[in-house]
Formats: sequence, C-alpha cells, structure tokens
Amino acid sequence: MSPDLAMVVAAVALPFVAAGLTPLLFRLLDERTGYAGALVAMTSFALLASQYSVATTSPGTVALAWIPSIDVALRFYVDGWGLLFALLASGIGTLIFLYSPAYMHGESHLARFYAALLAFMGSIIGVALAADLIAIFLFWELTSLASFVLIGHYTDDDSSQYAARMAMLVTVGGGLFLLVGFILLSIVAVDVPAVESAYNLAAMLENPDAMQSALRDRGLFVPVLGLLAIGAGSKSAQVPLHFWLPNAMAAPTPVSAFLHSATMVKVGVYFVGRVRPILVGEEWLILFATLGLTTMTVCAILAVAATDIKELLAYSTASHLGLMIAGFGFTSIYGAETGVFHLLNHALFKAALFLVAGIVAHEAGTRRIDALGGLRHDLPVTAAITTIVALSMAGIPPFNGFYSKELLFEAAVEASHYHDIGALGWLYPAVAVFGSIFTVLYSLRFLGLFFGSRPDGLGDVHEPSIMLILPPAVLAALAAVVSVDPQLAVRVIVQSGVDATATDPEAMHVGLPTSYSTPVGMSAIAIGVGFAAYPFYDRIHDAIRSVPAASPPVSANWWYDAVVGNLTGVGSWLGSRVHNGLLRTYATWTLAATSAFALVGFAATVAVAPADLVGVDATPAIALVLAVAVVAALAVVTSDSHVAGILTLSILGFMIAIFYILASAPDLALTQLVVETLLLVIFLLVIEEIPEYYEVDLGRVARDAVLSVAVGATVFVTVLLTTDASPEGSTDVARYYAENAVPEGGGTNIVNVILVDFRGFDTLGELVVVALAAISILTLIVMRSGGGDETGTDDTRADDVTADDTRADETGIDDTGGADR
Amino acid sequence: MTTTVIMRTTARVIVPIILVVSISLFVEGHNLPGGGFIGGVLTTTAFAIVYLAFGLDFLERGVLGRDVDPGKEPSRDRVVVAYRRVFEYGLAIAVVSGLVPLLFGRAFLTQTFWEFEGVPIYHHVEVASALAFDFGVYCVVVGGLLTILSVVGAE
Repeated sequence: MSPDLAMVVAAVALPFVAAGLTPLLFRLLDERTGYAGALVAMTSFALLASQYSVATTSPGTVALAWIPSIDVALRFYVDGWGLLFALLASGIGTLIFLYSPAYMHGESHLARFYAALLAFMGSIIGVALAADLIAIFLFWELTSLASFVLIGHYTDDDSSQYAARMAMLVTVGGGLFLLVGFILLSIVAVDVPAVESAYNLAAMLENPDAMQSALRDRGLFVPVLGLLAIGAGSKSAQVPLHFWLPNAMAAPTPVSAFLHSATMVKVGVYFVGRVRPILVGEEWLILFATLGLTTMTVCAILAVAATDIKELLAYSTASHLGLMIAGFGFTSIYGAETGVFHLLNHALFKAALFLVAGIVAHEAGTRRIDALGGLRHDLPVTAAITTIVALSMAGIPPFNGFYSKELLFEAAVEASHYHDIGALGWLYPAVAVFGSIFTVLYSLRFLGLFFGSRPDGLGDVHEPSIMLILPPAVLAALAAVVSVDPQLAVRVIVQSGVDATATDPEAMHVGLPTSYSTPVGMSAIAIGVGFAAYPFYDRIHDAIRSVPAASPPVSANWWYDAVVGNLTGVGSWLGSRVHNGLLRTYATWTLAATSAFALVGFAATVAVAPADLVGVDATPAIALVLAVAVVAALAVVTSDSHVAGILTLSILGFMIAIFYILASAPDLALTQLVVETLLLVIFLLVIEEIPEYYEVDLGRVARDAVLSVAVGATVFVTVLLTTDASPEGSTDVARYYAENAVPEGGGTNIVNVILVDFRGFDTLGELVVVALAAISILTLIVMRSGGGDETGTDDTRADDVTADDTRADETGIDDTGGADR
Repeated sequence: MTTTVIMRTTARVIVPIILVVSISLFVEGHNLPGGGFIGGVLTTTAFAIVYLAFGLDFLERGVLGRDVDPGKEPSRDRVVVAYRRVFEYGLAIAVVSGLVPLLFGRAFLTQTFWEFEGVPIYHHVEVASALAFDFGVYCVVVGGLLTILSVVGAE
C-alpha cells in the first residue's frame, strides 16, 4: 500500500493548471472566479484527503521521472507531516477563495490576483509533498515568486511595490542559501550507501543517523545546518530577517490571511521539521531554540508596538513562527509535539484573525488600533469568532493555543536534561515566559477592538455579508473543536506528524493540566502578568515605540533600507562608470577582465615556470621575421599619425603571416594575409573620420599602457602554456585526420576537410557568430546616438577573427594595437 | 572621400583579379590551401577596395544604375539589405546542407564526395558535398563582413 501517484500529482498540478486557465475563467465568471478557485482548492483538498489512510499508516514515496540523467525526479513523499501541511494549505485556501470575491469586490486586476493565488497554493502543496531536493527548491522559489505578485498586487502603490521587492529579496535570497545547503547535502548523500539517489530526501529521512554521521565525517554538518537555517529563517521571518513580514501587509487581506497562516511563512517551519531527524543534535538545539525564542520575544514586543491591526497580526505571526522554530529546536519529543501541534493551531486561529481584520477594515473603513473599539454591538458574530481565536492566540486555557504553548514550556524546561547547555537551561524557559507575556498583551489588545467604549470618530458599522463571515466562522469552529478535545486532533493527524519529525516518536497526550507542574506555573505567570499589565498597555506601547525612534539602527528595517539603498547607489555609480556609452570604456573593461580572469586561472592551476623558456629553437628565417615583427610593434606605439600606425600594424600582421608560412601552415598564412589586407583596407576607409592625434593626459596613457601589457602578457602566457603542452610527434587525433582526409572527406587539404567535414558543426557555430556580429553591428549603428566608435571596426573584426580560434594570438596583438590608440 | 586617378585606375585592374583569385581559392579549398572563409574574406577585400576608390554609393549608382537618396539610414540601404540577405541565405545553405544527409539516414552534417572522369579540359573532377556547406560559409563571411563594412563606412 503506497500513495497513489496520480492523486498526488493531480493535487499539486491542478492549481497550476487552473492558474493558467484563470484568464479564460475570468471572462466567463468575472468576479465569481474566486468560487471556481475555491472549487479547485477543494478538489486538491479531497485528492490529498484520499491519501490520508496511507500517509498515517504506511508513508511512502511516489516519483515521476523528470531529469533521469542526473537522478532528479518529481518525488512526492506522503506522510502525516507533509499531508498536514498540504491539507492546511488547500483547506484554508478554499476558505480564502470563498472570502475573496466579497472582499475584493470591484477591484481591478482580479484575473492576475486569482491566477497568482492559485499558483501560490500549488507551490505550497508542492513544497509540502516534494521529497527531491531540486523539486523542493523549485517549489520553494515558486512560492517566493507568487508571493511577490500577490504582495505587489496594488502595482501603482509605492509601499506595495516596496514590500513586494523586500519580500522577494529576502525570501529568494534565503532560498539561494538553501540551494547551496541542498547541494552540500547531495554531495554527502552520494557516499551514503543506503541513499540511492543524491537528491532523494525521502531516502535520507529513512537513514537519518547514517546521513548525520556522513555529514560530520565530511565536516559539513555545521555549514549545512547554517545554510538550511538561513533559508528557512528568511522564509519564516526569523530575527533578524523578520522585517519583510509586517511590510507584506501591503497585500490585500485575503492574501495576508493565506500568507501568514497556512502557507509561505510556514514553509520554513515545515522544512525545519522535515529535516529535523537528520540534523538534530546539540548544535541544532542551540541554533534553533535561540533563534526561535529570540524571534518569539522580539516580534511579540514589536506586535505590542503596532498601530495597525494588520501590523499587529503580522508581528504576532512572526512571533508564533519563532515559537514553532523554537519548539522544533528542542531535541526532546516535546519539541516535535510543540512544532507540529502549534503549526495546526496557529493556522486555524491566525487565518481567522486576519479574515476578521479584513472584515473590520472593510466595514469600519480604518485599520488604526486607537480608532477602533466597542465593535461588539455592531459586529456581534465577528466578536464571538474573535473571542475564540484571540484567546487561543494568547494561549489561555482551555483554548487550543494553550496546549501547544504548554508543550513549548515543557520542552524548554526539559532541554537541560538532554544536553549540557549551562545557563541556557534556565534562560530558555525564562525567555519563553517573557515572550508569552507580550503575546497575552497583544492578543488582549486585539480583542479590545470589540470591547470597551466606541470612539466618537467611528462611523456606521454593520455586520458584513455571509461570505465574509463564513470562512472565519469555520476556522473558529475548528479551533473550538480542537480546544474542547485536543486529543481528537492528535489522533487524526498530529500524532503522525510528530512521528515524522521526532527522532524517538512516542504516543502524544495533551489535555488540561490536573495537577501543578513547572509548565503550568510558567503559563500561570505569563497569563497573570499579561492581564495585570494590560491596563498599562498604552504606556508600554509608547515606551517600545520610542526606542527605534531614538536610535534607528535598532530596527532591522533600517538596516535593510541602508543596505539596499547603498547597493542601489553603488550600482548606479558603477553602471555610470562601466556603461558610459564610450566604446573605449567597454573595451578597457572587457579586455582587463578577460586578462585578469585568464591570468588568475593560470596562476591558480599551473605554475608558469620560466625554465620552460630554455631550448627555444628557431631557424634564422623565423627569427628574422619575428624580429621584424617586434620592431613593427614598437613602431606602432611610437608612430605619430594614424596612417603610419596602421601601416606599421599591417607590417606586423604580414610578418606573422610569413611566420606561418615558414612554420608550414599555408592555410593559416593565407587566412592571416587576407584578413590583414581587409583590415588595412577598412582602416583606410574609416581613417578620414578619425580625429587627428590629440594630447591625452598621463593617466590615460598609463591606463592604456597597463592594459596593453596585461593583454600582451595574457596572450604570451597562453601561447607559452598551450604550446608547452604539445606532445612529442603526432597525436592520435592528428593521425586520424591525416589518414582519413582523402578516403573519408575526399580532399587533400586536411585543414579544410576538418573545417567542413570532420568538425563541420564547429564551423556552423562560427558562422552563427559571424552572422551575429554583423547583426549586432547593424543594431549598434542604427541605435547609436553619438559616442566615439573609432575602434568599432577594430573590435568587430576582432570578434570575427576570434570566431576562428586558431588565430587567437593574432587577435591579441590586434587588440593591443586597438588599446594603444 | 577624395580619391586619386591612380587609385581608381588601379582598382579597376585589381578588383577583377582579386575576385577571380578569391573564387578559385574557394573552389580549390578542398585540396589546396583556401576554402570558404578565406575566399569570403578576399571577396570582401575586393568590395572594400571598390568602396575605397569610388565611394559607398558607387555600387548602386554606377553598377545598378539607380539613384541614391543620400539622407537614408545606412541600415535601410538596398545594398545593405542585399548583403544581409547574403549572410542570411548563407546560414540557411549551411544548415540545409547539413540537414540533407538526414534524408539518407546519416548523421547531421555528414559529407561525401563524387568523382567524375573524362570531363573536358579538367579530365578528373572531384566534387565534395562539403562544397555546399563551404558555400554557405563563403556567403556568411561575405554578407556579414560587407554588412559591417558598408554600415560602418556609411557613418
């Protein structure tokens, strides 16, 4: 009994297919496209649910061949953990799609909105189920791209653009770290016999101990851990990369609800849980517990400082993500239970809260916290929903958030029993309690929108349409069910999720505490202090806000702005230096970079020993010709008019041609001769247009001299090294060509037979180069708006000559000539 | 561009010679030094000398007997269009000559040759199918270089 491939692939592919069809659907259904999206999401949900019994009893892998040559496949691993996440994404996705049409009524660009939302949901389901490192990375970055489109939905709004760019930079950048981590992981996996494919994560998860010991043997354990942590941390908005999440509230509210509750930000947490069995250990504990608890506390404090209800919820999301990361960070079984259970609980209450925030903003017309209050009279149903989910967020018993928070306290207390971590052993629980106090505070503040007195400025508010109420009501009902019978949720799915993420799974039990224990005391402190401090909320709020105002560098967002702003500045400065429209600048940069890379490459790979220069054997004729060439080269540099320079340059070229003849390479010599002639003629054609020699300052002369020396040195060293490697006598290849030229190619000119027959494909490639050069010249000339092109002909000729690599050194000399002028 | 009588007279004499030599280099390339690339560059040289001696509009005005609109974009020039066609066709010829063997079940760019006996004057002639490919090379080089030359020259 293994998962059904067709079902799983359909569940992942369906949203993408629907996203592609959205423009058509939109023509038919207009604003009701959202309901079609809900249908798609529900279908995905049903397809995934059909795999439920398999996932919870016998998890397995199904694969679709993708790139067999490098062993990459679209592998899907269906187990409780992946299924929980995929079901959350599709289930909450359904509610979001039901909510959207009413909320987004009358907005523009809805087709794009729904297409992106569908693609987004598909990518999340893909990440949840993929078991191939490359496929995971692909879906991972697809979520970043889709979220970029969604966050930047209001394209003409500056803050929306800014937020979208920021989310993209942070999450895609983090994804690149993740990719490097994946590659290191695959390098190690090749050596583990039990893992048959380098990218097969499912196989790695089946042999976690072998993987971990292999990683440690290679000394890659800490690098891989760090890289994956950066990737997951950037996606899950961990400190110090948490700043993109509050900014992402620029997105329409349904997107925020989806993004913050079930999907994108959870991907990092989900992945941390996924690789936990492989990497768990003391480093893991210290890294993730510290990271998670720091994020939890810092973001909870920032949530208290928020002035906008969506901002408050966004910071609270980051804080709860920290809680989950910290949970997975603790190596005990309680840690895994915290992470899995809280992922579920948080999805339920946070999606509902965002939808409620949407209702409030929609009906009251403002999102400012201090402009709202006493809404329970106007929005009685919404108030009831909010009471359940806000208290769940605060972790007040008997609501479901309490159980997972209790598990975190338990894991924090137990941490020092498993590893010797010194002072951290009591610091972790203390920080967890401290952060929880703020969690209680901001949850109460959100609830306070519905209680207390109504501000005078608030206009007429009335209960919204049923389609806006239904989705949060469903979520609140689910949260209530879990609150009443948490063991039900455990039995249904959480237990199998824990089995997948824990190293030593055991049966999980949650419930209301019946006797005193340390975690119960911690909860009591957090809730008690939270309630006690609530009357002073405004003072705390102002105090926190005064800190970044007094010293901006405290806030991570300030750093982001500084870094990105400076990068932009440096970029434009560099651009104006390198890309100034003057051909000589381009020539300088191109030649300098090429020479530098080539020389560094030689230096890194082979030692250029001057001893190789011993034993130069040249006939007197060759020596004479080359001596003339050297004299001509000197004359080029010292010539005082263009004509003289060109003529002396041609002398140099012709000497090279004669050298080829003497070295018995008639074809090469002929080519050199005709190219040299053509060059001479072209130079004479354009000579009229070139201004007379003018005085140049010393700096430019020095630059040109340095560049010429560099290019010359590169060519010299290249020739030296390439000819040094020539074997004694003739090689097999040479013999093959010599023997087969006449019988196979029917020609006695071996060079040409090679060109058009044996290596015809290379020649075809060169033809394309020549054609491209011609097209680019046409384009350049047609689009040109001033700027000197005195080296234009020279450069393009160089291009064409380079097309025939046998004349590379000729090109070098040519370019030196060009750079000298 | 001002040119002397000497220049023009010399050009009249040597341009045909260069053209003939370049064609012979191209045709004989399979057995003697030469080939499409060399022939192409040499042909281009002949055209360059024509330009040098008679100016850029000579081909259109003198050879084709058309009037030239002096204020035209160089890239829109009829001659330039012709050059562009030459290298486009050359590329096509090269690719098609490579595709033909596929019809005979051979690999892409497979070449063969035929020998003819008893041909008048030459007696023994050997024609390689590679000549078609080489002709493509020749066309691309001529068309490409002349495009560059005339466009840059027009500037």
